[in-house]
Amino acid sequence: MIVGDLKPLAEIVSAIKEYKQVLVLGCGSCVTVCLSGGEKEAEQLSRELSQIRHYQGTPPKFEMGCILRQCEQDLVLEYQDIPAGTDAILSLACGAGVQTVADAFDPLPVIPALNTTFLGASAKPGIWAEVCRGCGDCVLTFTGGICPVARCAKSLFNGPCGGSHNGSCEVGLDTPCAWAMIFFRLKRQNKLHLLDEIRAPKDWRPGGAAGPRKRVRVGLGDGTKYGNKRT
Amino acid sequence: MTYFRVNENCNGCLACVENCPASALSFADRDGRRTLKHNMTKCARCGQCWRVCPQKAIEFQHLLVGHWDDVVTMDLIHCQVCGEPLYSTAYRQKVESQLNSTVETLCPQHRQRQAASKLPLLRPGRIQSKLGDT
Repeated sequence: MIVGDLKPLAEIVSAIKEYKQVLVLGCGSCVTVCLSGGEKEAEQLSRELSQIRHYQGTPPKFEMGCILRQCEQDLVLEYQDIPAGTDAILSLACGAGVQTVADAFDPLPVIPALNTTFLGASAKPGIWAEVCRGCGDCVLTFTGGICPVARCAKSLFNGPCGGSHNGSCEVGLDTPCAWAMIFFRLKRQNKLHLLDEIRAPKDWRPGGAAGPRKRVRVGLGDGTKYGNKRT
Repeated sequence: MTYFRVNENCNGCLACVENCPASALSFADRDGRRTLKHNMTKCARCGQCWRVCPQKAIEFQHLLVGHWDDVVTMDLIHCQVCGEPLYSTAYRQKVESQLNSTVETLCPQHRQRQAASKLPLLRPGRIQSKLGDT
């Protein structure tokens, strides 16, 4: 899922203080699950931002809302009401949600309340860790299901660097070396021969280096016209 | 009451069933009648049905703001001092039968106070006399 963290309160206050009425809008999907931008968090943030001590002048008036997914423009346009008098939206969605809402209600200013951090997985309650960078050319088949792009600090493709020490990465002892994990996973799978092949330098174009990515699904909406291709 | 609802525009074309990516919609034809079926546990609430419906018959708002279902209603045991709800009567019976004794119904705070009141009081005079003895 997409993981996000609430921005420092001072930064949010500084971004909204010029407005008179702000809609604090939670998102009901990824950021609800990672406990940073759902209905509860929107309510808490709205309550906190209403405190007069954050402002030198009059604080804005706050309204609160939450929609299942902020990243779908037709859904947002159809089902998200903007209370009369709203002059800005404070969105607790990921960057995709913030931009979709900004497009949907253009020219109403939409301010992000979260820093979108990574694509993560939760191995334990309350802990999310980055495991995928959306590089567009998945190599997990060869690496025992452990991603060297996201989980190796240097995104190496042909084994560990000299900073791998007793299974830890040189960036910090609490960061496991992805290549040590890959080696032992492949050993358990009896597939160490996969490491014999030299992996060529990665083509980063599918990972976003060739500009913003778009996926068009065949047989659905515009996909009926253009076919399934990256544009 | 189902969360997936259609209005009178639904003509049974099954566009929603065919396009549901989560296989959460189905149908049954019987005796010349068609029943549209929805499985909430499979539904991803992705809105695909609502988007593809040629009749604009799907009232997706019921999947966005739904109703509350009563799950279970139970009798409660309360703290005998402050009245704070503690647990269900069924749970008390279960614990009592396992312990083979009666459980005092006290909240953590009053249980702590009661336990403290049972401790022997240390009187300064006694301590002084004991220290003087040695």
